[in-house]
Amino acid sequence: MTSLANKIQDVFNEPGCDKNQGKSDKERKKGCTKQLQPGAAAGGCAFDGAKIALQPITDVAHLVHGPIACEGNSWDNRGAKSSGSQLYRTGFTTDINETDVIFGGEKRLFKAIKEIIDKYDPPAVFVYQTCVPAMIGDDIGAVCKAAAAKFNKPVIPVISPGFVGPKNLGNKLAGEAILDHVIGTMEPEYTTPYDVNIIGEYNLSGELWQVKPLFDELGIRILSCISGDAKYKEVAWSHRAKASMMVCSKAMINVARKMEERYDIPFFEGSFYGIEDTSDSLREIARLLIEKGAPAELMERTEAVIAREEALAWKSIEPYRARLAGKRVLLITGGVKSWSVVAALQEAGCEIVGTSVKKSTKEDKEKIKELMGQDAHMIDDMTPREMYKMLKDARADIMLSGGRSQFISLKAKMPWLDINQERHHAYMGYVGMAELVKEIDKALYNPVWEQARRAAPWETKPSEMFSEPEPELAAPTALAAE
Amino acid sequence: MPQNPDNVLDHFNLFRQPEYKEMFENKKKNFENPVADEELERVREWTKTEEYREQNFAREALTVNPAKACQPLGAVFAAVGFQETIPFVHGSQGCVAYYRSHFSRHFKEPTSCVSSSMTEDAAVFGGLNNMIDGLANTYNMYKPKMISVSTTCMAEVIGDDLNAFIKTAKEKGSVPQEYDVPFAHTPAFVGSHITGYDNVMKGVVEHFWDGKAGTAPKLERVPNEKINFFGGFDGYTVGNLREIKRIFNSMNVEYTIMGDNSDVWDTPTDGEFRMYDGGTTLEDAADAVHAKATISMQEYCTEKTLKFIETKGHEVVAFNHPLGVKGTDEFLMAISRITGKPISAELTRERGRLVDAIADSSAHIHGKKFAIYGDPDLCIGLASFLLELGAEPTHVLSSNGGKAWEAKMQGILDASPFGKGCHAYGGRDLWHMRSLLFTEPVDFLIGNTYGKYLDRDTGTPLIRIGFPIFDRHHYHRYPVWGYQGAMNVLVWILDKIFDEIDRNTNVVAKSDYSFDIIR
Repeated sequence: MTSLANKIQDVFNEPGCDKNQGKSDKERKKGCTKQLQPGAAAGGCAFDGAKIALQPITDVAHLVHGPIACEGNSWDNRGAKSSGSQLYRTGFTTDINETDVIFGGEKRLFKAIKEIIDKYDPPAVFVYQTCVPAMIGDDIGAVCKAAAAKFNKPVIPVISPGFVGPKNLGNKLAGEAILDHVIGTMEPEYTTPYDVNIIGEYNLSGELWQVKPLFDELGIRILSCISGDAKYKEVAWSHRAKASMMVCSKAMINVARKMEERYDIPFFEGSFYGIEDTSDSLREIARLLIEKGAPAELMERTEAVIAREEALAWKSIEPYRARLAGKRVLLITGGVKSWSVVAALQEAGCEIVGTSVKKSTKEDKEKIKELMGQDAHMIDDMTPREMYKMLKDARADIMLSGGRSQFISLKAKMPWLDINQERHHAYMGYVGMAELVKEIDKALYNPVWEQARRAAPWETKPSEMFSEPEPELAAPTALAAE
Repeated sequence: MPQNPDNVLDHFNLFRQPEYKEMFENKKKNFENPVADEELERVREWTKTEEYREQNFAREALTVNPAKACQPLGAVFAAVGFQETIPFVHGSQGCVAYYRSHFSRHFKEPTSCVSSSMTEDAAVFGGLNNMIDGLANTYNMYKPKMISVSTTCMAEVIGDDLNAFIKTAKEKGSVPQEYDVPFAHTPAFVGSHITGYDNVMKGVVEHFWDGKAGTAPKLERVPNEKINFFGGFDGYTVGNLREIKRIFNSMNVEYTIMGDNSDVWDTPTDGEFRMYDGGTTLEDAADAVHAKATISMQEYCTEKTLKFIETKGHEVVAFNHPLGVKGTDEFLMAISRITGKPISAELTRERGRLVDAIADSSAHIHGKKFAIYGDPDLCIGLASFLLELGAEPTHVLSSNGGKAWEAKMQGILDASPFGKGCHAYGGRDLWHMRSLLFTEPVDFLIGNTYGKYLDRDTGTPLIRIGFPIFDRHHYHRYPVWGYQGAMNVLVWILDKIFDEIDRNTNVVAKSDYSFDIIR
C-alpha cells in the first residue's frame, strides 16, 4: 500500500494545475476532490475512474481482479466506439470467492491472466485492482510482473482500488499506470512532423470520428488517442508525437504534463465541443506542430478548413436559432468541459442559466465568466434537491446533464438531454454541434413535456400539482460525478 | 433422398436440400416459361416508382390485399360475447369455417359457431328449411341460452327474411316460442366486419328492449345509475375488457359490458372444455335499457347501435379507440362526468407513470415516421398516440374507413405540428400502402400480420398492432386501453425501434461498434 499511497500523493501534486499549485502542502495532501461525505449520495469510485479511462483501449483484455460486483456492474457500460477490435467489451473478471478472500486471490489472478493469453492472445492484459483484493493484500503488481515475464507479454497493473477515492482520482491513477508501464515501450514504424496525441478523449458515440476527417484532410496524424479507439501499440508509442491536445483536463492532466516532462511533447487544453472551440483547437494543434518543426504552410491550410467548416456549421444551425433563441439551459456536466459547451449553446442562441463547475479548473471558471459574464451562475456542487427545485421553479427550460441526473429533470417535468458518456449522439466537431442543436430542439419540443407539465385534467386545481411534497431525491439519486 | 426416418427435416430445411433445389430449378426452366431475370427485376423496380404509384391509386375495380374482413366475422365476434350464446350463421357453412379458424388463429382458442349449411337447393328454393332444421339441431345439440342469427351473402342474395324465418321456425317447434333468437342481416358485400359487429349489437339490444320480435312487451325504461359499455370489434378484447372492468371497479362505476367475449376467448386449460364462458348475461343485456348512458369505444363499430340506443333516451358517447394519455384522459373524464364518480387515485398514479415512461423514452420515438393501417377507430387511436409521442404518422390507411373517417383523421393530423405532411387514406388497400412505402418511405409500419409482406418487400419494420395477429402469440391478452394499455403499446413500439437499432449494428467487425448494451 505504501507505493499506492505515494502514488496518490504524487498525483495530488500536479504542477500542471494552477488550482493545485495554489494550495498549501497540507491542503494538497488531501487531494483535489472534496472528501466524500458519509451518508450522502456519491459518484463513482476510483476503480470505476480507472476502468473508464483505459477501457476504450480496444484490443487489450481488461481483467478486473475482484468479486463479481466490480466488473459485473460495469462491463461494457460505456459508449466508447472501436473501429477494430471488440475485445475491450468482453467482461473479464477473476470473480473471486470466499475462499480466495481467506487464502488470497493471487493464484487465481495469475491463472486468469494465463487463460486470457491462451484463449485470446491480446497484445496486453490490463489488470485492475479492486477493494477486496487490495484489502486482503493481493500484490497485483507482483503477479503482473511474474505473468509478464512468464508469458512474455505486457501485463499492466492498474492499481486504483475503489476505496482510495473518487472517480477522478481513478482517472489519474489509470494515467499513471500507462505512464509507468505502457507509454514509451514501443516505437512507431515511422514518424512525421504531423504526429499528435489526443489525451482524455474516449470516442464516445464515435465522436472522434467526426473530427478525424479534418485531421486527415490537413495531413495531421493522430499517432495516439488516449484512450478512445486506441490500440495498445498506439498508446505504447505515443511518446513519439510532436504535440498533444488534452481534451478532458481533469482526467488526464498528469499524462499530458508528464509526457511533456519526459518526452518534450508540448500540450494544450482544448475542446471539440462548439464551433469556435473546434476552430481554436485546430489552430492550436497547427501552431504547436509548426513550433516543433512542421512547415508553416500548415496554418494556412488549417485556416482554410476552419473557414469552410465554420460556414457550413453556422448554416446548419441557422434554421434552429429561431426556435432555440432565449431558451434557458441548465448545464450539469461532469467530464466534458463546461465552458466549451456553454460557448456551443450560446452559438445556438440559448441562454445558460447555470453551469456546473464541479470538476472545472480555475482556468475553466475564468473562461465561463468570460462567456457568461461576471455574475455567471456557477454551481459548484448541486444536490439533486437543489437541482430539482431549480428546474421545478421553471428557472430553466431544459437540463443538459449526464445520465444519472436525468431523472431529477424528468420528475421535475423538464426536458433533458444526455451530454455525458451514455448518450447516443456524437456532439463533437462542427457536425456534432449541429447534432447537439438538433437534439436540444427535439427535446424541447417533444410533446410529452406539455403533457407532463399539465396536471391530470380532472385535478380541479392545477396549482396543487405543483405544491405536492417533493419526492425524496437525495438518497437514491446520485448526482452524476462523471 | 434427403429425407430419412432418423432425422426428419421440416419444411424449413427439407426444400433447401440439393435434390429439391434441382427439382425446382428444372421445373422452372422446363415448365414455367419464366421471364428473363432482368425483366423480372425491371418490373419489380418499376412497382416502386412514383409512376406506378399513380397508376396504383387510379385503380378502380380491383382490391389487392384488403385490410378488412366481412360483416359476418364481426357478427360472430359480437354474438359470442353473450352468456351461453351460440352464433348461428344462416348461409353456407364454408364461410363459418373461415370465421372460426380466423378467430382461433388470433385468440388461440376454439370459437363455437354454427351454420344453417345452405346448399344449392336452398339457394334456389330459399333457406327456410335450413333455418328450421338448423335452429332445432343447434338448440338440442349445444343447449345454448341464446342463438344469435346472422347471415352470409348467400342468404342475403336470395333475400331470406330472418324475422319471418325465425318466427316460422318457432311455430314449427324448432325452439320454444319465448326462446331468445336475436338476428341481424349481415351481408359481406356491405361494409366490413365492424359493420357486422354493429348490426348484431343493434339486433341484440333491439331484441331485448323492443319486445323480442313482437313476442313480449317492450321494456319500459326506468333510468338507473349504470352505464353500458361497447368495446367494438377489437383484437385486444381479452386484455382490454378486463382492463376496462378494472378501471370501472377502481372508480366504483356500475356498468354493463355489452358483448363481453373476454372469457370465452381465454379459457383455462384445467381439463374442462368450455363451449361457453363468461359473457354478458341475458338479464343484464335486457336491463341495459335502464342505463343512464351508453359508451362506445369505437364510433365506427357502433354507428347504428348507438343511434338506436339514443332513441331510448340514453346519453351516448362514442370514442375512437382512445389510446394514450389524452385519449384515456378524455375517456375517464367522460365516465366520471356521466357517473359522478371521481377518477380514482390509482388511475391518476397510473397516468403519471405513463407520462414518466413516455418522457424516459421520448428521444427514441421523437421524429420517427410511421405508417399505420387498420380499422378506422384503431387508426385514429394509434395516430393520436403517435402524435402525442412526437412521432409522425405519415400514412394512415383504413380499408374500411370511409370519407367521413378520412376527413376526421386528416383533421387530427392537420391539428398537430407532428402531423405535417401526413395523410389519411380511406378505402385503400395494402397494395396502395406498398406504393406509399416505396415512394414516401417511413421508419416503421404498424398493422396486423398481413403487414409482414410489406415489411419484407419494402424493408419497413412491422410493429404488430391490430387484427388479426396470426404469427405472434398472445398479444390479445394485453390491454391497449387505459394508461396501462398505452404503456403496452409504447413498449411494443420501443421494442421494435431498439430491435432495429440492434439489427443495424450487429454485423461483427463491420457495424458492431454501435452494438451497445445501453440504449
